[in-house]
Amino acid sequence: MIKFENMKIVNAILIAGCLALVLTSCMDDEIVTCEPLEGSTLKLTVQPTFGAQDLHLDSTYTTAEGYKVQFTEIKFYIQDVKNGSVTMISDGLFDFRSRGTLLLEASGDPLDFAGLQANLGVDSSINHDNPSEFPNSSWLNISNSNDMHWGWNPGYIFVKIEAKADTIADGNDVFDHNVVFHVGLDANMQTLDYTNLNWLALGNDVHELQFGLDLATFLQGSTQSIDLQTEFSSHSAPGQEALTLKVMENFKEALTLL
Amino acid sequence: MKYALIAFVIVATFFSCKKDNVGYEPTPYELDIPSHFPDMIIPIDNPMTVEGVALGRKLFYEKQLSGDNTQACAACHSPQSAFSDDNQFSTGIDGLEGNRNSMALINLGWQNFFFWDGRSATLEEQILEPVMNPIEMHETWPNAVSKLYGSQEYRDMFYQAFGETGIDSVKVSKSIAQFLRTMISGNSKYDVMYKAENNLPLSASDQAMYATVSPEESAGYDLFKSLNGADCFHCHNGPLMQVQKFSNNGLDAAFTDNGRGDVTGNPSDNGKFKVPTLRNIAYSAPYMHDGRFATLDEVINHYSFGVNISPTLDPLIEYAAQGGVQLGPFEADLVKKFLLTLSDESFINNPDFQEPQ
Repeated sequence: MIKFENMKIVNAILIAGCLALVLTSCMDDEIVTCEPLEGSTLKLTVQPTFGAQDLHLDSTYTTAEGYKVQFTEIKFYIQDVKNGSVTMISDGLFDFRSRGTLLLEASGDPLDFAGLQANLGVDSSINHDNPSEFPNSSWLNISNSNDMHWGWNPGYIFVKIEAKADTIADGNDVFDHNVVFHVGLDANMQTLDYTNLNWLALGNDVHELQFGLDLATFLQGSTQSIDLQTEFSSHSAPGQEALTLKVMENFKEALTLL
Repeated sequence: MKYALIAFVIVATFFSCKKDNVGYEPTPYELDIPSHFPDMIIPIDNPMTVEGVALGRKLFYEKQLSGDNTQACAACHSPQSAFSDDNQFSTGIDGLEGNRNSMALINLGWQNFFFWDGRSATLEEQILEPVMNPIEMHETWPNAVSKLYGSQEYRDMFYQAFGETGIDSVKVSKSIAQFLRTMISGNSKYDVMYKAENNLPLSASDQAMYATVSPEESAGYDLFKSLNGADCFHCHNGPLMQVQKFSNNGLDAAFTDNGRGDVTGNPSDNGKFKVPTLRNIAYSAPYMHDGRFATLDEVINHYSFGVNISPTLDPLIEYAAQGGVQLGPFEADLVKKFLLTLSDESFINNPDFQEPQ
């Protein structure tokens, strides 16, 4: 026989057990959301310009040589974006036509990024990986890289500039040259290194770092110019090495902190 | 008192996990994505289910969606034409013709925009349009839904797919979208060439198929990719055999159809159309947005000698000034042989894509 005092204990255990059962009965179905602790949102933006004026795709600009030029595509990859040992994000893709001035968004503390280093292009260690196997969130996934991927062997296009140019002073407005600069291949990757970054606080814990990309500087360069009449196509192919390197070096020069 | 409490707790235990939709247990649909393809991003508000796909398949072939109950989606997207129309322009229920060729429905789960002019951003959005289009199925959605609701089978299938009673255009669109996302083509000779080229593992059936690749097909692939050859790969490459963009490929010097330009209102987009996949191109004739070319020979000839210059011509048509890439007959034949490697008979004849009996 169980004594009365013992019955009390049994009942208490039974009730406690049932309550515990209630509290835990749905555990398998529940979606436990553990939001990662995130820092500020860091935005890197790039404003293309032609000299002092903001650049618009398909609009006409005049080069130092007097040529008329209409840019139709401006795209480039940056990769391994970091400050020393602090990584901001693995990769970013600038696509002026599709995404406007946004280069990338990442979580982080702007105080960690008084400086910034990145690859202009994609490092050889991942440039030839299966483009279908990068995470969906990566701009290197082939669904996101889209026309910035040639194939596994050549890898990604690092910098893509497409334009039309009228280089013949014949009085008509026919844009007689297609301009196509598609630069990639491991040897052509450049590194970027910026210091004394000036993060703008946009509110709501969003901070923006603004770059400019001056296409006039890209064409003119401080030490080497690109003459669109004769230098209007590079696919980084054999025989195009000089122009390919010039495109990358001038592009790097044109991409500056604002 | 304590027994009442115990009873309450036990009852509460049983009811605490009650689902919102009693009896709604959809079966997740596992997509059969080829190993060399990227993941397919499924909209969070339209998960793939076996029930949804089955319903979508039935609706794809459902003639009640048209005003006079004579045309289904499949009328203009026939399986034997790679789910396109072998007529230059499709004819709607009122005998009216459109002005663009019906697009092939292949690997739609990876597309970023729909229609030749990209006016729909999602597959679900795209599906809503042909039913209402007066030159296509010419029906109102309330009428179409009402007809479906008259069927007990459809009422059951919609409940099984969505877990709630009632039928509406959104559910119709979602279920057809689920079905279309299952229509994946990635089992052609080209696929094994792609895998072999990139040192991806080949299955036994891949190896058997790879053994049938002829030297001419390989040479055609090289020409297809060559900057100084056919130069096709700028717009047609990768597992999907396309890039996601709009392009003016030099069909006309002046436009009778502005294409993308009429969507954006930007004259710089005039004459541009969505770059289509080349998969199953042997089945999807005629070609181009207006179906002007009946054969692959005509297509290759266009890019070789027929390119027209216009203000919005794609800069990637680099040999436009001389009319095109100037392929001779031998080279053109090699490129054509390669294009035929994009045929995927297992896709065309997949019983899961045919009209349900």
